[in-house]
Amino acid sequence: MEQQTFQQTPPPSSPPKNWLVESILVTIFCCLPFGIAGIVFASQVNSKWAVNDYAGALQASKDAAKWTKIGFFVGITVIVLYCIAVFALGFGGLWWTSRSLQQ
Amino acid sequence: MNKKALAQFIIVTIAVVVLSLLYFFFPATTSTIYPKCIFHSLTGLDCPGCGSQRAASALLHGKLLEALDYNILFVLLLPFILYSAFVFSWNVFSSKKIGQNIFYSVGFVRTILCLVLVFWIVRNIPVRPFSWLKA
Repeated sequence: MEQQTFQQTPPPSSPPKNWLVESILVTIFCCLPFGIAGIVFASQVNSKWAVNDYAGALQASKDAAKWTKIGFFVGITVIVLYCIAVFALGFGGLWWTSRSLQQ
Repeated sequence: MNKKALAQFIIVTIAVVVLSLLYFFFPATTSTIYPKCIFHSLTGLDCPGCGSQRAASALLHGKLLEALDYNILFVLLLPFILYSAFVFSWNVFSSKKIGQNIFYSVGFVRTILCLVLVFWIVRNIPVRPFSWLKA
């Protein structure tokens, strides 16, 4: 029933954002499973749109956005943690070297 | 003009300029300051994105062949990413909007998906000619 009422409403003129480029960027810059999930949902946006499943396309668009953003923020977090670790180790190493030089 | 799109444009432009300068003056091919791929660190295998930092550094120095050797997928996809960036920038500043049609064709998206997955598998086969795809 729900499906029928939905199809009676006039379809939007263009497909929802499919996040393809964003998910490719996330995949290439190494936050992988999330980026690939993003590309999978990006493909669903278009295929569902092609068979007039507008609600499905919209849902796929939301999922694509979700996984792309998760991938992006996980990636950023890892990079920030990495930088903190490198700086901590760097300063630790410097401290250790100066200490052993003094002795 | 769409304020949100303009803000995105400015942030992305600054990020691209800063990262380009960083990768130009501290190439990932020689510098060890860059984070390594988690997948590669854990498994020793290459992910589809492995080598893309080195490829970007090589490209910024005009070494196309070297970039292809590090990550051919990154170099192949770069024109599409640049095209998308161009369309996005155009739509920020022009009242005549253009659509990113190729990114919304079912075939194109499926091709990309297959390409990424096949590349992931094939570049980890330790036999020539597949091993040439290794980062």
